[in-house]
Order: sequence, then C-alpha cells, then structure tokens
Amino acid sequence: MSAEFDLLGPWISLCAGILLTLLISVIRTESKRPAQISALITVVGTAVLSLGKQPSEAALVFAGSFEISSLTLLVLGGLCALAAMFILGTGHYLSRERIHISDYYHLLLILVLGASVMVASRNLILTFIALEVMSLPAYTLAGFRRNDSRSNEAALKYFILGGAMGAVFLLGSSFVFGATGTLTYSGVFSASKSGGVMLELGHLLLLVSFLFKVAAAPLHFWKPDVYEGAPTPVTGIMATIITAASFLTLVRLIHMIDYGAAEMGNYLAWLKSALRFVTVASLIVGSTVMITQRSLKRLFAYSSITHTGYLMLGVLGSFDSGASASSVLIYLCGYCVMSTGAFVLLALSKSPADTGTELIDLTGLMKRSPYLTGLWTIFLFSMAGMPFTVGFFAKYFVFMASMNGGETVVVVIAALCTVVGAYAYLRAIALMTMREAAPTSGEWELTPGSQLVAVGAAVFVLFLGIIPNAMLQYLKGIPLIH
Amino acid sequence: MEISDSLSFLLTLPLFAMVLSLVVPRAVQRGYAIFASLLFLALTVYESSGILFATSAATAARFAVEHQLQWLPQIGAKLSLRLDSVSAWFVVMNALTAVIAFSSKGVWYRKSPKLFTALGFFLLFGLNTAFLSQDLIVFYLGYESVFIPMIFMVGIWGENQKASAVFRFFLMSFLGSILMLVSVFFLLSRQVKDGGAVSSHLGSLIPVAGGLPELHAKLAFFGFFLAFAIKVPLVPFHSWLKDVYVLAPFPATIWMSAILSKLGVYGMIRFVMPLFPQTMGTYQGVLMAIAACSVVYAALLAYRSNQPKALLAYSSISHLGFVMLGVFTMKNQGALSAIFLSVGHTMVSALLFFLLSKIDERSEGLDLGVPRGLSQQFPVLFTALFVVMLASVSLPGTLNFAGEFLVLLNSWPVSTLSTVVAGFGAVLGAAYMLKFYQQMGFGASSTDPGKQGAHAEDLSGFELVLVFLLIMAVVVFGFQTSIFLKGN
Repeated sequence: MSAEFDLLGPWISLCAGILLTLLISVIRTESKRPAQISALITVVGTAVLSLGKQPSEAALVFAGSFEISSLTLLVLGGLCALAAMFILGTGHYLSRERIHISDYYHLLLILVLGASVMVASRNLILTFIALEVMSLPAYTLAGFRRNDSRSNEAALKYFILGGAMGAVFLLGSSFVFGATGTLTYSGVFSASKSGGVMLELGHLLLLVSFLFKVAAAPLHFWKPDVYEGAPTPVTGIMATIITAASFLTLVRLIHMIDYGAAEMGNYLAWLKSALRFVTVASLIVGSTVMITQRSLKRLFAYSSITHTGYLMLGVLGSFDSGASASSVLIYLCGYCVMSTGAFVLLALSKSPADTGTELIDLTGLMKRSPYLTGLWTIFLFSMAGMPFTVGFFAKYFVFMASMNGGETVVVVIAALCTVVGAYAYLRAIALMTMREAAPTSGEWELTPGSQLVAVGAAVFVLFLGIIPNAMLQYLKGIPLIH
Repeated sequence: MEISDSLSFLLTLPLFAMVLSLVVPRAVQRGYAIFASLLFLALTVYESSGILFATSAATAARFAVEHQLQWLPQIGAKLSLRLDSVSAWFVVMNALTAVIAFSSKGVWYRKSPKLFTALGFFLLFGLNTAFLSQDLIVFYLGYESVFIPMIFMVGIWGENQKASAVFRFFLMSFLGSILMLVSVFFLLSRQVKDGGAVSSHLGSLIPVAGGLPELHAKLAFFGFFLAFAIKVPLVPFHSWLKDVYVLAPFPATIWMSAILSKLGVYGMIRFVMPLFPQTMGTYQGVLMAIAACSVVYAALLAYRSNQPKALLAYSSISHLGFVMLGVFTMKNQGALSAIFLSVGHTMVSALLFFLLSKIDERSEGLDLGVPRGLSQQFPVLFTALFVVMLASVSLPGTLNFAGEFLVLLNSWPVSTLSTVVAGFGAVLGAAYMLKFYQQMGFGASSTDPGKQGAHAEDLSGFELVLVFLLIMAVVVFGFQTSIFLKGN
C-alpha cells in the first residue's frame, strides 16, 4: 500500500493543496491573495513532482482502475502547468470583473484534479466520477459572473446538457457492464473479443458523451453560447484543460475495444465511418461558421470545434497504427499552449463584459501596442498552422497520421478547411495591423503576470515551431493507447 | 560534388540582418538595408560564381555544393541545401531583387521602417530556404513563410482597400500550397506503406512518385501544379494578382513580380519535372496551351489597362507565360532557356517597377492617359526607362530577346501551335509597352510641377549607378548566352 501512495504522490499533493486552499479561502475571506498564492504553489509543485517522475512502465493501482504511467503523469503535470498559466495570467481580469473571490481557486484546482484522474482512470465508474469532479466546478465557474444573464445562461446550459451527457455515459457503462460483466478497461478489452450488440451500443453511448464534451459536430451547439457567457479565463480553461483531458479520455475509450477480433470487424468499419463523419462535420462547421463571427470568444469557440476536427484526424489514423495516436498528444500540446496564450491576451481586453470582446476591438492595435499585436499575431498564425510555429507541426502530424491510415479524402477536406479557417485568423490580424484605430475600438491593458505568461507561451510556440525535436522525441515515447 | 557547410550562411545571414534591423536607428534604415543586401548579394555571387560562370555543364557540376544538416529525424526532414546550376541563379536573383526593392523610397521608410526592413530580410530568408532546399517539407516551410512578410507589407504600407486584395492573394496562394502539402503527405504515406525509412528528400521521393498508380500520380501532380500555377501565375489562376500588385507598396510589387513568381518556375523545374515526368508528358499539350494562352491573354489585359502598375503586372504574367512555355517543353534545353528568361524577367520587371516608383515620387498620380511630359523634366530617368522597356519587349541584343528566342526555338518542335500563339503575344508586348512609355513620358508638358516642385531631381547618385549596372547586365548577358546553356 505504501508503494501505491508513493506512486500517487503528485495526486495526493494536489489534493492536499486543494484542502489547504479551501481552508485559506474560508479563513481569509477579505483577501484573495493568499488563496491565489496557495493555488499557484500547489499547481507548480504538483507539475514539478509529476513531470519529474518518469516511470518506465505503467503501474495499475486500486484494483487495476487507476493507471500511473508516463502518460498520466505528463497529463497531470501539463494540466497543472496550464492551470498555473491561467492563475498567473488572468488574476487582473477577475479583479476587474469583481469576481475575484477565493472560491475561484479551489474550484479550479478541483477541476484539474478531476481532469487528470479522468485520463488516468482505467475503470468506467472512476471515469464517471472524475468526469463529474471535473464538470461540477466547471459549471460553477461558468456562472461566476452571477449578475450577468449571459453567464447564468452559460452555466445553466452547460449544466443541463453536461448532466444529460453524464447520464448517457452511465447508461453506456451499464450496457457495457451488462455485456461483459466488468467495468475495467482491460476487462472490457478482453471480453470484447466475442462482440455483441449490447457492447457495441454501450460503447457508442460512452463515445457520444465524450464527443459532446469535446464539442465535435454535430454535438457542438452548446459551445459558442457557453464560451461567450463564461468569464474569459474560464473559457480558456474549458478550451484547454477540459478539452485536452476529455479528448485523451475519448481516445482511450475508443481503444478500449479489441478491434483485432473478427467479431468487431463490422463494428470497426461502422465506427470509422461515423468518426469520419464527425471529423468532416467538425472541420466544416467550425471553419465556415468561424469566419462569420464578430465576437472573439465565439470565434475561438468555433476555432476549437475546428481543432477538435483536426484532433479527430489523428484518432482516425490511430486505428491502423498505435504510433499515430501520439499525433493527438503532439497536437494537444501545441494547441493547449497557443490557446492559453490567446485566452490570456483576450482577458486583457477592457471591453465591458456584458457586450463581450468583439473582433472590432482589435482594430488598429498595432498603433497602440505593437507588442500586444506581435503576441496576438504569433498565436493566431500558430492556430492557422503557419510555418515556424508549433501549429504547423501539430497539423503535420495529424495530417500524416490520417494519411497513413488511408483517409486521403478526409485529409484533402481538412486541408481545404485549413484555408477557410486561415481566413478567419488572418482577418483578425488584418484588423490589428492594416486598419486605423476607430474611436469605438476597445482598450487593452497589459499586466506583468499576463505579460510573463503570454511571452512564455509565444516563445514556446516559436521555439517548438523551429526545433520541435525534443518535444517530438518525448511525446512519441509516450504510449497513449495500450 | 563537394559537401560543404558554407551554404548555411545563405540562410543565417538574412536572419541575422533581420534581427539587426530592429536595432539600427530609424533614420538610417534605408542605408542599412541597401548596404546589408548589397553585401549579401556580393557574398551570394561569390559563393555561386563557380557555377554561374562555368562554361560547361561539367565545370558547373564540379562547383555544385550540397550541405546536409540533421534537423528533424522524427519526420525524416533534413536541412539539405543544394547550390547547383538551377538554384544558383534563383538565389542570386533573390539577393539582387532585395537590393532593388530596398532601394525604392517611400512611405515604408517613414512609417515603421524597422518592421519593413525586418520583413524584407525575412522574405530573403524564406525565399532562400525554398530555393536551396532539396527536402520537400523544408521547401514547403520556406515557400509558405514567404506569405507572412508579403501580407504585412501589402497590408501595412499598401494603398486603400488593400485588405480584400491581401485576402484574395493569401487565400488563393494558401489553397495551392496546402494542396501541394497534401500531395507531399500522400507521397510520404506511400513511403511508409512501402516500409522504407521516411524521408522527404527529393531523391527518395522520386522512386515513390514513379511507382504510383496512374490516377494517384495525376492527383498528386495536380496538387503541385496548382500551387505553382497560382504562384507564377498562369492565366486561369491569375485573378488574385492585379489588385495586390496595384495596391502593394512598390518594394512588395518588386518582390512579387521579380522573385515570388519565380518560386513557381523553380518549383516546376526542380520538383514537378523529376517527380511526375510521365503525368506531365500526358498533359504536355494542355500545359503548353495554358502557357501560350497566358502570354496572349495577359498581353491583351495589359493593353487594356489604364493604370501603369496594372499594365506592368499583366506584362509580367505575359512574360512568365514564355518562361512556363520553356519549362513545359520538358527538355533540358527548354528548362535552361526558361531559367535564362527568368533571370532576364527578374531584372527587367524589378527595374520597371523600380523606375515606376521613381516616377511616382515625382509625379501627381500615375494614371495613364493624362499627359504629363515628364520625359522633358527627367531625361535621365526616362532614358533609362526607355532602355528597360526595349529589353522588356525583347529587343535583340538583350537578355530577354535571347531567352524568348531560345524558348520559342525549343517549344516549336513540341507544339507548333502554342509557339505561334505565344509568338503573337510578343508582338502585343511591343504594342502595350510603347503605349505605356508614350503616355507616361510624352504629351504636352504639364503645368503641374509635380510633387517635389519644378526643381525635382532627376535620377542620380546611387540609384543611377544601380540602374546603369543592371541595364549593362541585361545587355552583356544577352550576348553571353553560353553561361546559361551549359546544361544541368
């Protein structure tokens, strides 16, 4: 047992940090600074602890339902690092919106805990619990601007739909249990050799609930409204931490079935065409609707639907070779950093929150702040997949994965969608650099914390865009699926 | 062939100059940019002189340099740079274009000059990456990164309503290049399927492309062809060009017409010809016809233009039609004469736009059909323009004449009809250029003294020397055809 606790160290330290932060926020209600510092120390400490460990092989604890491996430790460390970036980079937004209260921090930490456990889980019940642990703080955080009806709408919409999808997940779990008599991933994997409609239906329901979480079209409709209504840092957290964890869980759920078995051949073919449809739909819906958006948050909502589509390209490629699954990890790594940078910058907008930050607020930004324009340009170019940014290599790997999986037509469609999407990003860049500022265009303020985070993210994006060797070497060595 | 690492300076120096330009004071940016690009030109010519001035293919091959640097073993991409009798010309043209573009004066040296110079050097870097790389992924990175400075140059220093022109330029070019990338991916995935080590080096992709089934080869060819046809541009794909040439600031126009268009020519010669010789052979008739139509159609459009920048833009497409006609002959001599004509086109079209920018500095508005009588006011400038114009209409004795003549000579046996049609375009070329010159320079002397008053200076000093040397080069190389025709 003590060995297990030793392995679980990073998660335990995160839990301890949550309790500490909660305690501080109860004791020191008048100031939020102590809670912020406590949360920051917790996530940084956990990130260091988990990234420092490099177990050569996976260990399963708690009766095979919790996996401790290089992947799950990387996910925990990565999510904590993202959380640290948000805590450091967006505190001023909360103050400006008068929602800077201590509760924000322990809710955020609980969300990170849920997200990291969800990826580490090898048991459907634990996955469900972790899903709820991740989602409940997210619903609350989305409604943090409680005097704003949009924020309330976002929270309610997210809660009801998220809750319904949680129920779908449970229904799927019960079907899978009925068919196989087990809830562990490995048990389902070995039982799936005999096939069966019940198992297929249950598996499908599990996938549907997570396709909803990552907002793959046609299950994307909630995303723009929730993104727009939630406070900007929370939107950023949804776009990065929740998306990354949900996507990795989705990949693991997809691969909990043994597709090598003869009985699953039909199901595999059917599932592949369904996923192909989801991929193409996400790409087309995301990129085409993105160019009509005026609100920056909605634009990023559709942009993240497109990114889901690109990630699905990697998943499509992963059926034939497990190595292609690492393309998903590479894409997520690049995507999370550039999105974090973009949302930290978005939180700098001083436009009144009830109208939201519009594309028009970027107009003529270069005259007012060349520095901020440079940072925006780097992140937007990276999202468009331009060379010398991490976005290019992220796209390279998912395109290659899908191409190796024989999905040439899907890749061509994805390439065309890249062009359409690039137009949306270029439009934002054009507004900043090619137009004169209008009196109506919004104000932006730079704070030291956000500056540090944004510059760090930008350096990361450019560095990995030119010399990604170390990252590729590291991420390719991490087995995403077994 | 010699393996050397002396080539990497062709990539690192522009980047170094780019960083330095952010430190150099605003007031001396133009001087710095010209000086640095001249220095770079000298170094480039020195590095490739052995190849450029060799009189036989064997000598040139002896001087060819290949430089390999491990970059991304995970995806099989190497930084393999190759300077040989094809790329040497393009690299030198690139450096030369930078000198001419940086020499033009205008708003770009008043409003954020540091950014302008930095973008210019980045462009130099991106183009050199594309021209030198033997690796298709690295080539794509260079090819695609060229958009970034171009978008900003047009967007920041361009004229009104530039945004839509920028978008059209970007979207069409990006559409082409991403389909090319998909084609590269397709070839790479075939390599994976065949079980070989993944490498995006041209040499290892040629056998893969050769082994493709016919339909697949055609589709992959189409991806490459579309990218380069949009870049050149050939006629059905040229709709992005006019607006962006007209609205762009002069240096950006110089870069686009003189060297960015050559990316298409280079890509076609370097990559498409060796990768898809059979498919290209199948479509040769169509390709030749497209090139010939480009010549004539663009010439007609040029004749109809009443904006000098648009006229020169269409004239540029028209001449590039000749270049592509030479490429599509798919013969060694045809490709060589296409490179030959490319060099002439680079110098002449850069000079034309450069001189036009000088006229723009001295005159109120540039529309044709308004008599200004500027030739009396600025005799030196207009004499230079006259000589360049003659080179542009391929007067015998100039580089362009020799180039066009050789192209037509080589294309005649391949497709007589296309050759005749293209030859007709050459006649139209004389018509619109004479119209251009007459309306810019002659006519009743205007009472309007121009932007800089009656005492505006004629072409002089550094600019005069630069123009004179370039004109000399156009004439001298016109007689020295042997250095181009040595084979590759």
